[in-house]
This record gives sequence, C-alpha cells and structure tokens, in this order.
Amino acid sequence: MAKKKQSYLRGWLGRQGSIKRSQMLFILTIFVPLISLFIIIRIIPIAATLGTSFTNMHLIRPVTKFVGMKNFVRLLEDKQFISAFFNSIEYVVVAVPLEIGLGLLFALMLSRKIKFESLYETLYFIPYILPMVPAAIVWKWFYSPGSFGLANYLLESVGLGRVPWMSNPRIALLATIGIHVWKNLGYFMIIFLVALKNVPAEMREASKVDGATIWQTIRHIELPLIKPIILYGIVMATVWSWSAFTEVYIMTQGTDISTGAEIQVLIYRVFQEAFVYHSMGKGCAISFVVFLVSLVIILVQFKIFRWGER
Amino acid sequence: MKRLATRSKIKGSRIILHLCLLVTSVIMVMPFIWLVFTSFKEKADIISVTPTLLPRVWTLSNYIKLPEVAPFLRFFFNSFFISLISTLFIIIGCPMAGYIFAKYKFRGQTFLFLLIMATILVPLQTYMIPLYLIMKSFGWINTYQGMIFPLIIMSSGIFFLRQNILTIPDELIDASRMDGCSEFGIFWKIIFPLSFAATAAIAIVNWVFTWSQVFIWYLVMANSEKLFTMELGLMYFQRHYITDYGGIMAACVITVLPILIFFLIFRRRIIEGVSLTGMKY
Repeated sequence: MAKKKQSYLRGWLGRQGSIKRSQMLFILTIFVPLISLFIIIRIIPIAATLGTSFTNMHLIRPVTKFVGMKNFVRLLEDKQFISAFFNSIEYVVVAVPLEIGLGLLFALMLSRKIKFESLYETLYFIPYILPMVPAAIVWKWFYSPGSFGLANYLLESVGLGRVPWMSNPRIALLATIGIHVWKNLGYFMIIFLVALKNVPAEMREASKVDGATIWQTIRHIELPLIKPIILYGIVMATVWSWSAFTEVYIMTQGTDISTGAEIQVLIYRVFQEAFVYHSMGKGCAISFVVFLVSLVIILVQFKIFRWGER
Repeated sequence: MKRLATRSKIKGSRIILHLCLLVTSVIMVMPFIWLVFTSFKEKADIISVTPTLLPRVWTLSNYIKLPEVAPFLRFFFNSFFISLISTLFIIIGCPMAGYIFAKYKFRGQTFLFLLIMATILVPLQTYMIPLYLIMKSFGWINTYQGMIFPLIIMSSGIFFLRQNILTIPDELIDASRMDGCSEFGIFWKIIFPLSFAATAAIAIVNWVFTWSQVFIWYLVMANSEKLFTMELGLMYFQRHYITDYGGIMAACVITVLPILIFFLIFRRRIIEGVSLTGMKY
C-alpha cells in the first residue's frame, strides 16, 4: 500500500519511481494515438450531439446558426416526436420486464445441472447472434394480414380469432416489441446463467439441508447473490430497448399498412430527421433527449437498487 | 421406500423441466426453421392457406435465381471485409490499451478509464449524426473506411483486456525489463501471448458484432450497391421483390448462414465473450 502511494508521489509515469524514457515513448507512440482515435470516434461525437442540437444545421443550408433552445421547444409541438417518445417509453416498459423475467426463468431452469444444457443454451442464444434484418423480415411475414400470415393461421387452428397484427398500430407496436424481446432474450439468459453458476454449490446444499423449498432457495439465496448482474441486465435492457431501431425500420418498410408513422420510435425519428430530411440540428436535439432520458432512467434504477439494499 | 418415492418425484420434476425447456427453446428457433423450409418451397406452396412446415415439393429454384437479381456474393465480401479490418484493429488495439491501463500509472488514468467505461452505455445510434458529419468532412461517405472507422475501437474490449492483463504478475514484466527488453518487446513477447485467449474472445465477439449489430451505421454510410453489407442487400432485395416470398426467404437464409456457421464453430467462445462484454460498444 505504502509502496503504491510512493510511486504516485514520485512522478507522472513509471511504477518503480523514476520515469523510464522507454515507457514514456511507448505511451506516446501507442497510447496517445489510440486515445485520440477514441476521442474522435466516441467523445467528440457525443459532445457534438449536444452542441449541434442548439443549431439550425441543415445539410442543404450553407450557413449554420446558433438558435438556442428552439429545436427543443419545437419538439414539444411536434406530434411525430411526441408519439415516438411514448412509443419508446412503451418499448422500455414492455420489453425490459419481459427480457429480465424470462431471461431469469430460463437461466434458473438451466442452472439445475440438467442434461443437454449446452444444447438448450445454444438454441436460446441463436436469435441474439443472428442479424436483425432477416429475423425481422421473417417475423413481419408471420404477422401478415388475414389467414395468409402464419401467426393468424396458428391462432385460428387452435380456435382463437385473428389478430390485426399490422393494421392496428397498438398491436403492431407490441408485435414489434415482441421481435425485440425474442431477439435479445438469449443474452440476458446467458449472463444470468453465468452468474447463477458462480453461486457456490455449498450454499444451495446448506439451504436444502435446512429444509428450504426450491423457491425459498431461489428467492433468499440465489437471487440476492446475483443482484448486481440483474441490475446490469436491467440497465442494458433499458438502453437497448430505448434505442431500438432496426426492427421498427423493417416493420415500417414497404408495407401498405397505415401504421408506419404510428409505430416509430425515437431513434427512427433521429434517422428520419437527419438522413431523410437532412435536418441535423433537429436530429441531434432528439438524440440528446434519448441520451438524457436514458441517463435519468439508469440513475433511477441504480437508486432503487441501492435503496433496496438497505 | 421413502427414498424411492423422492427419487421418482425428482425424476418427474426433471421431466417437466425438460419439457418446458424443450418447448421454449424450439419456439426460440422456430422462425429460422420455418424460414429454411420455406425457402425450399414452390410459390404455390408458400402462399397456401393451409401451410405445412415441410415443403410439399422440394425445389431449389428460389436459390438459383438469386445471383441474377442481386450480387449476394459481393454483399458477403463486403460484410466479411468490414468485419475483418475492424477485428484486426481490435486485436492489436485492445490488448495495448488494456496493458497500459493495467500496468502503467499516470495522471488522469482513472478518469480516462471511467470515460471509456461510460461510453459502453451510449449506443452508436445516439451520436451517429456528428459521426456522420465527421466522416463527411473526411470525404468518407459511401466508402469502406467510413463504414469501418467507428468500429476500430471497442470500449468493452479495452475493459475486458485490462481486467485480464491485471492478472499477469508484475514480476514477469519487471524481470524482462531487467533483461533489457523494450516496452514494445514486453508487450509483444509477454502481454500479447499471455492475454491471447481474452483477445481471441474479444475478436470473435467483435466479428459477430460488426457483422450483425451495426445495421443503422451501414444504412447511413453506404448508398451504392457496391458497398452493401449482407443485411443492406437483403433489405433492398426485399423492397424490390416484395411479393416474391420464396426469393426473399432464400435471401434471408443466405444472409443468416455465414454468421450461423461462425457461431456454431466458435459457440463456446462467443457465449463466454458475449456474457463478459455485452457485445455493444
């Protein structure tokens, strides 16, 4: 401990005290370019998103002016933005509990030292690894209207009625969220499974000896122990569902449904404003809202978890 | 007697467990199974009002006509090339940055490291507009370098490699320093080989990521068919052949196939790596 402190005091570089010229050279030639790249690719764009959101930047307009909060004020009156905002909220509210809940359920089932475990694991994981575009195309085809779509055919064959998957915007949005959940479920299952496997077997055995039922063991031993991973999972699930794009984009592409505009989410709006209408300022304003709100949600989630610990 | 009863009870619950797992896992992959069988169906079979899983008549016609309407081989090459270049950068960059964060001490290090960690939580789509403008100022719109550039740094990879390199004992590094090994020599002869398993996991994860998770960036950057990745190609194909379901399904299979094979080969490493890094930037 003391040694560590000393090395800090002795100077800028070098663990053993004196600055090694070779170490300095290594940092200058390798690290500085790497970090500069990182700053160009990540930090500057993230900062510039905020900066650009206060301007009226437009790809076609030659001069860019500072317009203050005008973009944000305009967003409040923009019906498309408002509906996209609430659709994104719905995305988070529906997708996160489903992903975390089902992910936990599958992970708990798989962690019982079961045969063919790796086979099940692989099957659950496959949707996460594969590209979203073909997956969304297949799902969209399942959702096709009438008895033509497989989803309705299956519903009818078990005696249930048809569902207007694509023509009712509320249902179309839920159907799209369904694709998102189906796609990402495997990821959460895997991280929970890895965490559950790290729970010491003695703890399970001990609670069994004490006469605890399997539910009590899960509730009082296993879940509290993997709590940090659950928090991580909730944060990731929130970020991903909050910034979902591809499945929405595919669902709105080239169909004759009237729901195209009604199932859009925030990133879809960003894409439309910036790369279809070339209004970079407005696009950045929406991006910044996305960024800010996700930050607030994450902080609240951390607070709730901390609070639960006391 | 009692013991036998509990044993059979355990066996019963095992069977129920297996049943649950089997049903849900089959549901998870059902869309892909259905997709594959559909791509071998004839047109009349596909739009039949009483669909069956297996084709009534097997046909390859959906696949045979694909190369005529869209250059999927080219799309495959583009996806491959982008993943390859990006992964090469990751293989060199992540261990180097990880090494410096793990074994060096300098002012601002903690801050920089936290900054890198924080960007893991910010998805690319939220800052793609300024990124696009930067690429535009470089004149890199609609080029390979523009598509690859944001993918050559992987924050979660740097974090993962740092954690891994921390476990390499300092004595090893100090000893080779005594022997007159240069800093780059230490990296190349000690750090890189010892952390290679971690680097390989990161590289494979990055390959899958660049192949199938950054669709929106490719969509923004590439606007000529020559640069389309497989997903972009598939999207334009399905836009133009909207009623040709057989063709679309065959194109979907072609798009899914390379990464599926890759996954089945590197299954263990991918699952391990993904559960550790999250596979987002």
